[in-house]
Amino acid sequence: MKKKFLYIVFVVFILIQLIPGGLPKVSFDNPDDLIINNKDIPEDVVTILRNSCYDCHSNESHYPWYANISPSSLLIARDINEGRAKLNFSNWENLSKIEKAGALDDISDAITVDEMPMAIYTLIHRNAALNNDEKEVIISWANEFSERLFE
Amino acid sequence: MKNLFLVFTISAISLTILSFTIKNNSKALSSNTDVTVYEVPADVQEIIDNSCYGCHNTDSKSTKSKMKLNFDDMSNLKQGKLVGKLHRIYNAVNDVDMPPKKFIDKYPDKELSASDTETLKSWANNLMNKNGGL
Repeated sequence: MKKKFLYIVFVVFILIQLIPGGLPKVSFDNPDDLIINNKDIPEDVVTILRNSCYDCHSNESHYPWYANISPSSLLIARDINEGRAKLNFSNWENLSKIEKAGALDDISDAITVDEMPMAIYTLIHRNAALNNDEKEVIISWANEFSERLFE
Repeated sequence: MKNLFLVFTISAISLTILSFTIKNNSKALSSNTDVTVYEVPADVQEIIDNSCYGCHNTDSKSTKSKMKLNFDDMSNLKQGKLVGKLHRIYNAVNDVDMPPKKFIDKYPDKELSASDTETLKSWANNLMNKNGGL
């Protein structure tokens, strides 16, 4: 009985590998990228953005080995597609002024209420979790960067 | 001689008026982009009071709601922050993300009508433009 159950689990596992994963494409050549086009962004901000945000909110995703195995691949594909659709730093310069202001306000709020980075992401990527100092760095940068758009 | 005096007087007066208008114009232009504008007409206020203010106010029980958007604090925001909030309000009502579905299920009369949504959108748009968002 137990043997049969394990056998079924194994077959299901093999079968779900056939589901097309559709991992979003990765590109490291993004001429409209936020960091590339704004050299005055402080280094500590750049480090945090790359370390805690860019995996989902840019075209520069670094996929772990289990991104190629179902069912984890399906979750990763869904989250990164959603993340990029909401905010993609690789397309930053294509945003209008009001879209940038909206995104920066969203960033500051999402960090303040601990919605981002997502818990399921920092559970595995421990160094992507933000301590209070790092949160403050991002929040005050986002607010200042937004006001500078209107000067 | 008399004519020359008349011409001189008229040009002097018109020059003075002209210089005043130019000065006032440049003042109006600069204050338009430097000073934050936040106005809420009565019809917009009514919609906000009915459908948004319950959660998005200083004394709200929902910490998250008031941290993200607090109508009591809007007039204190700088231009970048204010335009950011307005843009998110615009998107939230345009995409029917707000008010939340669960809330509407419980209080159906708080739902935004199509005309409420349009009123809020054009209010937000207008304020974004007045604050240099174009």
